[in-house]
Amino acid sequence: MSKALIIDDEQQMRRLLRMVLESRGYEVCEAAEGQLGLQEAAFQRPDVVLLDLGLPGNGGMDVLKRLREWSDVPVLILSVRDREAVKVEALEAGADDYVTKPFGTAELLARLTVIQRRRFTRQSVEIGAGGVTINLLHHEARLHDEVMKLTPIEFALLRVLLEFSGRIVTQNQIIKRVWAGQSSDPSEGLRVHINHLRKKLGVTGPRIVNEPGIGYRLEVG
Amino acid sequence: MNTESETAKSRKAVSEAVVGQFSWGLMILFVLVSACWVLLPYTGYQFTAMVFLMVIVLAGTRWNRGPVLAMAVVSALVWNFFFIPPQFTLHIDKPQDMIMFALFFVVALSMGHLITRLREREAAVEQYHAEREQLLEAKHRAELLAESERLHRTLLDSVSHELKTPIAIIRTALDGLGQGNAYAGEIETANLRLQRIVENFLEMTRVESEALVPRPDWCEISDVLHGATAPLKRELGERRLRVSGAEELPLLMLDSRLLAQVLGNVLHNATLYAPGGSEIEIHMVLENGILEMRVRDHGQGLALGVEDHLFDKFYRAPDSPAGGTGLGLAIARGLMWAMKGDIEARNHPEGGAEFTLSLPVKTRQA
Repeated sequence: MSKALIIDDEQQMRRLLRMVLESRGYEVCEAAEGQLGLQEAAFQRPDVVLLDLGLPGNGGMDVLKRLREWSDVPVLILSVRDREAVKVEALEAGADDYVTKPFGTAELLARLTVIQRRRFTRQSVEIGAGGVTINLLHHEARLHDEVMKLTPIEFALLRVLLEFSGRIVTQNQIIKRVWAGQSSDPSEGLRVHINHLRKKLGVTGPRIVNEPGIGYRLEVG
Repeated sequence: MNTESETAKSRKAVSEAVVGQFSWGLMILFVLVSACWVLLPYTGYQFTAMVFLMVIVLAGTRWNRGPVLAMAVVSALVWNFFFIPPQFTLHIDKPQDMIMFALFFVVALSMGHLITRLREREAAVEQYHAEREQLLEAKHRAELLAESERLHRTLLDSVSHELKTPIAIIRTALDGLGQGNAYAGEIETANLRLQRIVENFLEMTRVESEALVPRPDWCEISDVLHGATAPLKRELGERRLRVSGAEELPLLMLDSRLLAQVLGNVLHNATLYAPGGSEIEIHMVLENGILEMRVRDHGQGLALGVEDHLFDKFYRAPDSPAGGTGLGLAIARGLMWAMKGDIEARNHPEGGAEFTLSLPVKTRQA
């Protein structure tokens, strides 16, 4: 059974989230403010944290940064703000994904499942999702068992998207992995390569969804 | 660019002024020489030297260095030629006259030089003060603007949080109730309507506060389409979307979030008037760096005279169904204007309303 920690200052929201999560078999603990949240995270050792970015002051972001100093637990950001810069800041400070309030329960649960899965992708030579697999040993990508012809950059791009599959990955995170060590700004090139990769994935492959101002998400299943 | 051309312009103005000063200087010298020539028998030639010196000093307080120094040289030579005996030669007989001439020359030159330099320094100091004042004022204004923007943003954030939290709670609670309850369905519809109203009000405030700055980036038009249609699944219902012209478009430099919102608002408006089961067409063309998106529905079309007010804040067409805020299209226009684009509406010749969004874009072949 997974254990979830909810850090949100709205009592009603906590109560509702508890009901939703408990009905899905989660064990739930909660905290109404940042400091208590950090203590709970240390004592209860949750498998996943739901963190409200709108805690009083700059609360949510502070909790996230302090949590990341010692913990690797998957964090889902809950936010009513729809300003992209704040989300990007949270994602680059170590959050795994976000949902914007008001969110649907189905969306919330799907995101939770995906971010809890993320640890295991690194341990195999093959990464796959939505009909696409890449083999890191043979440096080969297949779409429905047919070998895809990819340039090295497209391969690296697909690899990042697959590693994050279902999760948002920011533009900076992609650039850091695919164009590591390059000094020129490759963001324009990124669009072009995404465009090519989308064409090669076609309608049968997974969809690369752009979330404007934030990054990309590989939609699977 | 701008400052360069301004400097060039001011340089031209200065050179014109200098030419003017040269000619004035010559004229004044001519008049003085004539006057002193007439007076020579009564005053003696030393007096003339004093008059010349005075004129050079006076000229120095007004004119540029070049003309003043030229005046000094010319007047020294003229004095020598016409006034110092023997007249009409540059030759000087008496040693004291020779010394006089040399002294005149030195005094005239250094006076001209000193006075113009003093004036230049004064001008520089004045300019320095003016610039400093201007800078201080600009800084002060920028600080005020930033402060008011920050206040605005904080207020907007907190109102947004207060209004959206209950809506979010209702949404989650409804999801918990599950499908199939007719009463819950009604609450959900009302809640979605409330959410749209709140979002529209907040967005309108943002558009009007000019805090809204488009952030263009390279994007594919499919991102815009997805962003516009994904939140409208419920409203579109069984109406079919037919998109044409999207395939041929290159990468476009635009703020896809804002454009998606505009398109979403226009589509939402269309769903209010287009009958269920009808088609809504989106046609896209790129011509001369202008992206044009035409959204056409197969509803009744616009009533007479409505076109002029359609995009006004809180305007509701006489035939509009209940439930709108009259903000959707006003926001659409505000956003298009913020992106230096425009939006227009008309009746399609074959029936139905047609909205045209036009936006200047940079393109890049993928």
